[in-house]
Amino acid sequence: MSEQQERLNQWKTKTEKTIERFPERKKEFYTSSNIPVDRLYLPDIHEYDVDELGFPGEYPFTRGIQPTMYRARYWTMRQYAGFGSAEETNKRFLYLLEQGQTGLSVAFDLPTQIGYDSDHAMAKGEVGKVGVAIDSLEDMEALLRDIPLDKVSTSMTINAPASVLLAMYIVVAEKQGVPPEKLAGTIQNDILKEYIARGTYIFPPKPSMRLITDIFAYCKDHVPKWNTISISGYHIREAGANAVQELAFTIANGKAYVDAAIGAGLDIDDFAPRLAFFFNAHNQFFEEVAKFRAARRIWAKLMKETYGAKNPKSWQLRFHTQTGGSTLTAQQPDNNIVRVTIQALAAVLGGTQSLHTNSRDEALALPTEESARIALRTQQIIAHESGVADTVDPLGGSYYVEHLTNEMEKEVLRYMAKIDELGGAVSAVEQGYMQREIHHTAYETQKAIEKGEEIIVGMNSFTINNEKQPELLRVDPSLGEKQKARLAELRLRRNSNRASARLEALRKGAQGTDNLMPLIIDCVRDYCTIGEICGVLREEFGEFTGI
Amino acid sequence: MKKKIRVLIAKPGLDGHDRGALVISQALRDYGMEVIYTGLRQTPEQIVASAIQEDVDAIGLSCLSGAHNELFPEIIDLLKARGADDIIVIGGGVIPWEDIPFLESKGIRKIFTPGTPTIETAKFIEKAVYERDGIAGSHGMEPAEKIDHIGIAVSSLEEVLPFYVNTLGLKLEGIEEVSSQKVKVAFLNIGQTRLELLEPMDGESAVAKFIAKRGQGVHHVALGVKEIEKRIEELIEHGVQLINESPVKGAGGANVAFLHPASTHKVLFELCEKPKGDEK
Repeated sequence: MSEQQERLNQWKTKTEKTIERFPERKKEFYTSSNIPVDRLYLPDIHEYDVDELGFPGEYPFTRGIQPTMYRARYWTMRQYAGFGSAEETNKRFLYLLEQGQTGLSVAFDLPTQIGYDSDHAMAKGEVGKVGVAIDSLEDMEALLRDIPLDKVSTSMTINAPASVLLAMYIVVAEKQGVPPEKLAGTIQNDILKEYIARGTYIFPPKPSMRLITDIFAYCKDHVPKWNTISISGYHIREAGANAVQELAFTIANGKAYVDAAIGAGLDIDDFAPRLAFFFNAHNQFFEEVAKFRAARRIWAKLMKETYGAKNPKSWQLRFHTQTGGSTLTAQQPDNNIVRVTIQALAAVLGGTQSLHTNSRDEALALPTEESARIALRTQQIIAHESGVADTVDPLGGSYYVEHLTNEMEKEVLRYMAKIDELGGAVSAVEQGYMQREIHHTAYETQKAIEKGEEIIVGMNSFTINNEKQPELLRVDPSLGEKQKARLAELRLRRNSNRASARLEALRKGAQGTDNLMPLIIDCVRDYCTIGEICGVLREEFGEFTGI
Repeated sequence: MKKKIRVLIAKPGLDGHDRGALVISQALRDYGMEVIYTGLRQTPEQIVASAIQEDVDAIGLSCLSGAHNELFPEIIDLLKARGADDIIVIGGGVIPWEDIPFLESKGIRKIFTPGTPTIETAKFIEKAVYERDGIAGSHGMEPAEKIDHIGIAVSSLEEVLPFYVNTLGLKLEGIEEVSSQKVKVAFLNIGQTRLELLEPMDGESAVAKFIAKRGQGVHHVALGVKEIEKRIEELIEHGVQLINESPVKGAGGANVAFLHPASTHKVLFELCEKPKGDEK
């Protein structure tokens, strides 16, 4: 028996066992014409490149990280939402869960993301605008009211102050009677891409990396089901990078976090299984599918061969996907529904673990409830009506897709070698290397669009005059004042001696090398605000002021 | 030589999305302007201070976080307070259409929404700066004052005049022969403008060829201008092809020049300058 045949038999046996524990959605799958649909399709087994492709759920995971993929369970449909006050956002969350969404994803406003309270001078005009305003535990309690934290998984797009928001989540759960080891979710916690592309940094790279590795270490012992970081290519792509750059810079950043954690004394298999990724799904369908497949293979080889990880969970690249916001046009916004559908399909055929589909009106304003619903329905139609989820990695074996997957891997490794030459991702970021590469691609794209070499339907071609303007969502402009009043009341009501003592303990911790997570949890429990906590850390760590 | 226009591109507020700001900075540089980019997280005070210190002609504000209604007008107010309100301020980003009238009423000269070609923004800034400084720009010609007349090609004046005069009730101002164009024309007055009926005098006339190819009907639109030579120069500078690169004599002793339809999206335009004292 050939090696391939032997490994296939092993895979089949293993998969049968998995199915006993996690049954597939149906006993048997059929097309609409009653043609049976198998779990996996392969060429003549002797021609199968088992080393490069593996079988689903097996190293190097090119075809997916689980043996049955969506035949067992669909991806998590996770729509990013949040605006205005905690109460308003809580209502939107309850609505989305009622509409069949299976996970939450919290958008925070910019003051929260940059560690300012709503009454800080820099927060003017920004409170509640791009996400929900959270100043203290009180707001977090309102945000998560009536949401069962032992059942729902929650993703929080928070980076520089990720420790503070995670601490709040842990304490709210505690008050609901849910112990931390039952909590499932993700914090973005990816500071490197903030310096590169997204801009919500607070501290310089070194203390930022410490906060991150403190979270890794704390969660390993106390919140083991939490994804401690979501290493994000999404924003790198939105800033103008192409698919290769997105992947190369993201994986290079991932390497930097692994190095930092190892440097802090952690064992690779203690934290690597909790690393998650976040990618963009753009317009070029096959390239995107190939990107996701290549990402898994590159990461698996890196973890196993370079870092010597032993736990197969450490080798698996799990990722969330969001469709490409910058591909949406303000013109003829309904066309965006079609773009999002194609992008979402690429994410699904690329084997994503969770997905956010953008709303059609995002180039104009925050999505309305109707637009957000259509976006969620898009995922549900792909899942329940298209049949693409009934077999694993259906594009595997396509000459084109396999070729692109190989090319993507090659190009990404070339870029990563360049970043290694520059001293790794942290150093490359400090030198502005990735920023320049991205800007160059962004400008070339813009020129191609303006010259008409690249067609954007409805924008530079197939335009119409006198477009009807759609209804847009508006955030209550008085929210900033309300949030300030609420914060002032809290400061009067809480035990201010205790709050000050907690902040002083945090300051001492920051001066030393102890893990800061327990100290931050103490702070939030006694209603220290995010601005106060980050204020202490700003004083101790300094601020990053750009490159 | 015209001076180089200086522009400050600024990111007010906490928004970290600067792809647009970086792209527009580069595009304005490529257009020939000097551009200073502030970087992220600038307060209105910082932006105004930089603008004054750098002695810029214009500020481009970029905001994608929804804080524009608060931050943009504050910048205008600060510029006024510091006597620097000759600086032209424009904006862009994710700005809902319904906020645009409010921002423009506060003194933002123009809001550019997503999908605007960068060249449009560059030309807008250039025009606004040249207008402010009283420099004749290369932005296009001085706008025409009115439609002087609309030319209509007809096979026979005799046949069509009863319709215009009796049915439409228009006043016939006169009939004359214009030898330069080989046509006989009849002018019918309508308020500030006229219809000009054109009958070819022989088969070689441009109007005869027009009728042979496309039948009778609207032939050209004449724009009433002053200083026709200058207007012609401006058009040539903009790459517009003219049939008459210097004015020829038209009906009523006017100086006229025709623009080539290949340059004007298929409409035949005539520039028409009436002799002094003949203005109505």
